[in-house]
Amino acid sequence: MEYRSQKIAYWYFAAALPLFALQILLGLYLAYSYTFTVPQSIVNVFPFATARAMHTNLLVLWMLLGFMGGTYYIVPEETKSEIYSEKLAYFQLIALLATGVAALVGFLFGWTQGRPLLEIPRPLDLVVVVGALIFLFNVAITMIKANRWTAIQGTLLGGLVFLALLYLFGIPFYKNEVIDWYYWWWVIHLWVEGAWELVSAAIFAFVLMKLTGVERQVVEKWLYVEIGLFLFTGIAGTGHHYYWIGAPRYWLWIGGIFSALEPLPILLMLIDTMMHVKERKTPIVNRLTWTYAVGCAIYHMIGAGVWGFLHTLPQINYYTHGSQVTVSHGHLAFFGAYALLNLMTFYYAMPRIKGIEVYDDTRGKYGFWIMCVAMMLMGLFFGVAGVIQSYVERVLGMGFMTAQSYMRLWMGSVFFVGLTFLAGVLLTVTDLLTLRPAKVRA
Amino acid sequence: MTKKIAFWIFLLGTIASAVVFLAATWDTHKQVATLSNVDKLSDRVVAGKRAFEKYNCNDCHTILGFGAYYGPDLTRVVQRIGEDGVRFRIKDPEKAFAKSFRKMPDLRVADTEIADMVAFFKWVGEVNNNDWPPQDSKKRLSRGEQAMVATVGVSPGAAVFQAKGCMNCHALRGTGGTFAPALDTVGRRKTLKEIEQYVRDPKSVNPKAQMPPQKELSDRELEEVAKFLSSL
Ligand code: HEM
Ligand SMILES: [Fe+2]
Repeated sequence: MEYRSQKIAYWYFAAALPLFALQILLGLYLAYSYTFTVPQSIVNVFPFATARAMHTNLLVLWMLLGFMGGTYYIVPEETKSEIYSEKLAYFQLIALLATGVAALVGFLFGWTQGRPLLEIPRPLDLVVVVGALIFLFNVAITMIKANRWTAIQGTLLGGLVFLALLYLFGIPFYKNEVIDWYYWWWVIHLWVEGAWELVSAAIFAFVLMKLTGVERQVVEKWLYVEIGLFLFTGIAGTGHHYYWIGAPRYWLWIGGIFSALEPLPILLMLIDTMMHVKERKTPIVNRLTWTYAVGCAIYHMIGAGVWGFLHTLPQINYYTHGSQVTVSHGHLAFFGAYALLNLMTFYYAMPRIKGIEVYDDTRGKYGFWIMCVAMMLMGLFFGVAGVIQSYVERVLGMGFMTAQSYMRLWMGSVFFVGLTFLAGVLLTVTDLLTLRPAKVRA
Repeated sequence: MTKKIAFWIFLLGTIASAVVFLAATWDTHKQVATLSNVDKLSDRVVAGKRAFEKYNCNDCHTILGFGAYYGPDLTRVVQRIGEDGVRFRIKDPEKAFAKSFRKMPDLRVADTEIADMVAFFKWVGEVNNNDWPPQDSKKRLSRGEQAMVATVGVSPGAAVFQAKGCMNCHALRGTGGTFAPALDTVGRRKTLKEIEQYVRDPKSVNPKAQMPPQKELSDRELEEVAKFLSSL
């Protein structure tokens, strides 16, 4: 750690980690509900819907905390200056956490906007917006005052501003369900296949550059090409969600063609990661951090690139749309692209903030492999369930619950592998919160 | 490639995609009124949407295929189970799903809200969305007809003829009703297209026809039954 204000990042990460664990706990409840019968009396007071709202909002919350923390860590080093206001940064953290907790507790009492992933009630949305403005202000002022622009900074700031702007489209009440879904995807798709890709590409480029010692010119050149491709394919690629909502038919073409190209930038990212690691100018010190970086690049490609491509063409999507195939992809993509990216950042930054040069990565290694393998299996089981569902319900036209009964075995398998995943998460979370120096090898 | 060229790739790629996307967005807004029957988007439908959101239904059910996957998709729920079916399930889920291994919460939804939601579902069900979901598609036979094709081995058209009650009035080989002409030789008198036209709207062929137009037949069912009859 070179700048005092980089310490802000630590608290963002430390706040994100328990939320990650809580997210998984609720996820297990969801998988359990798919497999076993939850009695009516419990369902009446704690419906599946409430648990799912908590599961997904916790995901978004901890990942955004991770991105913000990552930003606070990177910006001082990139601008060679302290963050404009540490106080604002801490205030914003507390505000965001308080909003998050209020929202989660609210869900338990049925206080909701009632739209998937955007359940946070509108009054709280306003607090989120204020918090986001403070964050952007703090970061932008730091960059502007320092005036040492780099591609990484530009991408990071651009991505964050884009991210915040898109959130606004999720706030109004839309009378027309078609229009509602149209703009819902401006938040969801343009986040994960647009703004978040920018933010994480910037963070990833930074960490990779620092880890491998490859020159900035090279890293940033790749970064431009990647974000260019991300936005070229991702913006019009939003159309892959407009096939069946009552939008004009040409979206089948626009969405199909552009989104089929979406794996390209991800593939490019994988290739350049491999190249940079191979041509590294520095020795591998903390091996686990490197493992996370390479793992993230590979898993990003599998979950988002391959799994996304599999069901993005309208001919296939007609049958898989809104089935467990979507769920399979959602899990692998979020885990591969964003969970691993955040955890990589945590493993990169947290030891440095604590002044640990070489950290003991025994527990962390187990955590990484348990999570990666368990999530891959979960993705496969969701996928099998999804294919069964697409065939039995969509192709054969049998009833919903008939299909569900055939899928039960696989959803049950998700639950049991999910328990293993939780073990990996708990190990990782504890490890990150109690990092210690490696014992000197004799 | 230099960094400068890379930057231009980024800039032009982004702008190109954004232009396509925004232009299509503009056009979508112009077309959506027709595609979603905005003339039928009444206050009641909007109230139904609000109720649907109030109870967070969408975090268990998909609608137009989006949401959670815990319960069945609701896009064409009124066409599938009827208005009464919808009302009953929301009003008394404990009874409705007594035998199911998956339960739906009793959220104590008010009767007016239920009525609003039914209006909302009805409206959504009529959105022109490229015929999704496939299980409720007009291009397929009903579940009963499929079962007859699969288990009794009749042709799809014969299954439609049987299942849709054509035989309440018409007879084949002496079985069936006598209220309307027997159809044993209809295929010699009429072409496939003529039969289709007649079944859909008898009065357009013969103004004095007494047969009611078979409006509830799906496109696929009409096609199959006409194929069957024209082969006789
Ligand atoms: C890291 C990037 C990505 C993440 C985190 C992600 C996540 C998700 C999630 C959570 C959903 C489900 C949303 C819902 O309906 O509730 C989804 C849907 C979808 N994604 Fe992705 N995705 C990513 C990248 C991609 C890419 C690159 C493609 C295509 C090549 C893709 C194709 C799709 C498609 C076609 C659907 C719609 C499924 C349906 O029919 O409902 N995704 N994605
Ligand atoms: Fe998408």
